[in-house]
Amino acid sequence: MSCIYDFSILSTTSLSCIRVSEMSAGTLESLVGQTISVITNDGRIIVGVLRGFDQATNIILDESHERVYSTKIGVQQLVLGLYIIRGDNISVVGEVDEELDASLDLEKLKAHPLKPVVH
Amino acid sequence: MGSTEEESAVKEPLDLIRLSLDERIYVKLRHDRELRGKLHAYDQHLNMILGDVEEIVTTVEIDDETYEEIVRTTRRTVPFLFVRGDGVILVSPPLRTA
Amino acid sequence: MAPPLFVGDVTLPLQFLDRKQSRTQSHAMLFFSYFKDLVGREVTVELKNDLAIRGTLISVDQYLNIKLENTRAVDQDNFPHMLSVRNCFIRGSVVRYVQLPPEGVDVDLLHDATRREARGG
Repeated sequence: MSCIYDFSILSTTSLSCIRVSEMSAGTLESLVGQTISVITNDGRIIVGVLRGFDQATNIILDESHERVYSTKIGVQQLVLGLYIIRGDNISVVGEVDEELDASLDLEKLKAHPLKPVVH
Repeated sequence: MGSTEEESAVKEPLDLIRLSLDERIYVKLRHDRELRGKLHAYDQHLNMILGDVEEIVTTVEIDDETYEEIVRTTRRTVPFLFVRGDGVILVSPPLRTA
Repeated sequence: MAPPLFVGDVTLPLQFLDRKQSRTQSHAMLFFSYFKDLVGREVTVELKNDLAIRGTLISVDQYLNIKLENTRAVDQDNFPHMLSVRNCFIRGSVVRYVQLPPEGVDVDLLHDATRREARGG
């Protein structure tokens, strides 16, 4: 489990880099430490705590799990742990409203999985 | 070279698009999407802003039993649309005959 | 005492480039500038995965990455995947369209800006 400490160092480093050039209005700075929901280009949804990011939108996601949507059964949650997601594969980063999220009955939520992004 | 000449000189493809400003154009996009609308802005990536836009999306489904192709088109209109240039296949100036 | 080499607002390498190159740079800024002026307005962003998200435009950057607040999926029945998300960041590269508010489109201004940038490029 020592790798977790390595990554937390990595995340603070990338953060200070971002602060140097705060030009980019699209930074995820305000979301660090928050639970976020990431939609990847292949249509997966990964929820976890944002630990760090960089200019390329590469992100470090802690305590993450995937939410798998289907029309037959409710949302299945797969535990993933610590993930680094490459920015090129990220479509959307959403801030999860914890209260709203707790009020969702994921087991009853049915929907098609999201389609992959087609460029 | 006079400014009028400069305005109308067509040396490269984007010059032709410049001459279509404020005109209705046809845009073919990736994945069987087509747009018709008035061109209000563009850049070198072919990012664009169109007005009074009609979008036509063509989808092909295969009939489960006969395996025949069923072609469907869906249309909608949007008042103003920013179009990301990376999806653009071609731009056509207004048709003189239409 | 010698004056400092870097003064005032000059913090970016591009600001040192020559006039022609800085013109080329401004050429790439048309839609960046346009979207910056649109901050605070409601827009609908349609993505290349067919998800359409409506929300208030909060910020945009040079890649046309977009931040929205008070977001909701346009078709929540078929797209409940973001029900607990109120603010989001959208990568510019996955945007297909942005539906613009008519009151946020000044066509004369856009024509002028486009012509100006076409000349500069």
